[in-house]
Amino acid sequence: MRKVYRYKNLSYTLADDEIANFSVQFISDGTTGQTVINVPGSTDPSILDSGSTPIGNGASLRSEDTIVVSDVANIIPEEDEVRIRYFINGQLVQEHCNQVSESDRPMIILTIQFPKP
Amino acid sequence: MKILSLLLFTCFSSFLFAQEKLTKLSAPSSPASSLLGLQPSAVLTPKSYQALETAIFSNFFNGSGKVTVPNDFSLEFTPYWTKNHQLTLEEYLFPKSQWDHIKRNSSLSLASTQNFLLGDSAATNAISWGYRTSLFFANKNDKEKVLSSKNKLNKLQLATADIMGEAQRIVQLPEVKNAEDFVDRIKARVRQSFLNAGIVPDSSKATIDTFTETILSNVLNKLPALDKSKQDDFLDAFVATLDAELATNDASFEALKSSVKERSGLSIDFAYAGMISFPTNDFQYSIVPRQSFWITPSYRFSQKANFLKVMGVFRYEWYSLDYYKHYFPQNKVYQSNVDYGLSLSAHFAKFSCQFEVVGRSSQSFTNAGTDVDGNTLYKKEAGTDLQYIGTFNYRLTDQVVLSYSLGNRFDPIVNPTNTLVSLLTLNLGFGGPTKESLDLTK
Repeated sequence: MRKVYRYKNLSYTLADDEIANFSVQFISDGTTGQTVINVPGSTDPSILDSGSTPIGNGASLRSEDTIVVSDVANIIPEEDEVRIRYFINGQLVQEHCNQVSESDRPMIILTIQFPKP
Repeated sequence: MKILSLLLFTCFSSFLFAQEKLTKLSAPSSPASSLLGLQPSAVLTPKSYQALETAIFSNFFNGSGKVTVPNDFSLEFTPYWTKNHQLTLEEYLFPKSQWDHIKRNSSLSLASTQNFLLGDSAATNAISWGYRTSLFFANKNDKEKVLSSKNKLNKLQLATADIMGEAQRIVQLPEVKNAEDFVDRIKARVRQSFLNAGIVPDSSKATIDTFTETILSNVLNKLPALDKSKQDDFLDAFVATLDAELATNDASFEALKSSVKERSGLSIDFAYAGMISFPTNDFQYSIVPRQSFWITPSYRFSQKANFLKVMGVFRYEWYSLDYYKHYFPQNKVYQSNVDYGLSLSAHFAKFSCQFEVVGRSSQSFTNAGTDVDGNTLYKKEAGTDLQYIGTFNYRLTDQVVLSYSLGNRFDPIVNPTNTLVSLLTLNLGFGGPTKESLDLTK
C-alpha cells in the first residue's frame, strides 16, 4: 500500500563555498527505489537505491528549501520493515522506518534548509 | 434446482471421502509440524532472538515456572533474517554462491501437541523439531525477466519522485489557487519526467504530449479541491491518483512482485525432522519414534511454458519398531519407508491441474532367533505401494474454487482394496477481517 511520510524543518549548516554531498543508505534488505533531490535551480540529481551525489554549495542551496523525495518499494517476504538513512557530508540528518505491513511502497519526503554557520 | 443438486452432490461426495486426507506432493513448509501431522491455526515466526526467547518461554513454561508441552504449537525461526544485511534487491535475488542460499533459507522449526493419539486413542504429549533449507538455480530468462521488471519499476519511481518534489514547491505558490492551476503548472515537469525516465515507449513529441495530457486529465478528474491549509492532503491525493494512472503501464510494482514470487529455475529443498514422544505423559520417559528426511527438487519453466512446474520428492523415514509395536499394535509399521514421487502442475488464468505419482517402498529387519553358532538371525519384510492422482481446479470466482480429483491412493489399513479416489469439492473462501473492515480507532 502507498503511503507518504514527511519530515519537515530539517536543517544542515553549510558555508557558502562548502559542497554538500547527499547520501542515501537503504538499511533494510531487498529495498529498491529512487531518490530525487529537488534543489533550487533546474538540475535535480537522483540516486538509484543506495548512493551519494553532490547537490551544490551552501550559497546555491540557500534561496529555497531543498526537497528530497524517495519513492521506495520492498517486496521480499523475509523483510518486515523499510529503513532508510539520509546523510549530508556523512552526518545523519534523518532516519526513516516503517513496517512493511503499513506500507510496502512508501514515499518519503524531506524538507531541508541550509543555513549559514 | 440444478444448482441445489450440484451443491448437495458436492457436499455429499466430500463427506464420503473426507475421512482419509489426501496429502498433496509438496515440500513441507514446517518439517516439525508436518511430522506431527499438525495443521496449526498459527505459526509463530519470531524475527529476533529476543522474540524467540519470549515465544519459547511463554509457551513452554507455565505460570509457576514448570516446563509444559504446549498444544497446537508451531514455530519457525530463520536466524539469517534476524538482522539487516543491507542487501540490494539484486544481491537478494542473485546471490554470489549457493552457500548464500543455504544460509538465507536455513530455518529451524519446533512443534508440539498434547493430542498425539496412540493406537488405543490415548492422547499424549509429543514435540518435534526440524530444519530446512533450499538451493535455487535461476535460469537465464528468470534473471532477464526480474531485472526487466525492476528497471521498469525504477523508471516509474524516478518519474513519481521527480514530479512529487516539484509538486511540493508548486502547491505553495500563491498564484496556484485550485486543482486546475496546480495541474497546469506541473504539466511541463510531468512531461519532462516521463521523458527522462523513459516510461513512454515512443519518445516522439506527439506521443509524450498525448501520454501526459491523458494522464493529467484523468488525474484532474479525480483530484479533490485544493485547500491551501491542507496542502499535504492534496499532494497525497495527487500522488495516489498519479500512481493509479501510471500503474496501468507495464512497469508496476505488482509486475515485479509476481516476477519474484514465481521465479523460473531449479529449486531444491532439503528438510529433516524428528519427534520425541511422551507415551505416559511423564517428562522422565520419552522415546524418539520417528525421523524423516526430504529432498524436494522442483523446476518452473520460463517464457511460453511458464505455466508449467515439475516437482519431485524423495522422503526417507525411519521408525522405532519397539515403540510402534507397543503403542500401535494394530498398525503394520516398517522400520523404514522410502517415498518417491513426481508431479506436474499447470496453471492457467482460471484453470489449474496437477498430476502426481508417489511410490512407497518399506522394509524391516526383525529378529528371527539365533543360528547354531549363536549369531542373531534377521528376517527381512518388505512392501511397496503406488498412488497416482490427477486434480483439476476451476476458479469460479475469486472466492470459489471447484476441484475434482481422480486416481488410485495407497492401500488403506481398513478395506485395503478400496483405493479409488474420486473427490469433488467446492472450496468457499470467506476471508478474514482487514484493516479497513476493522475500526482500529475504537
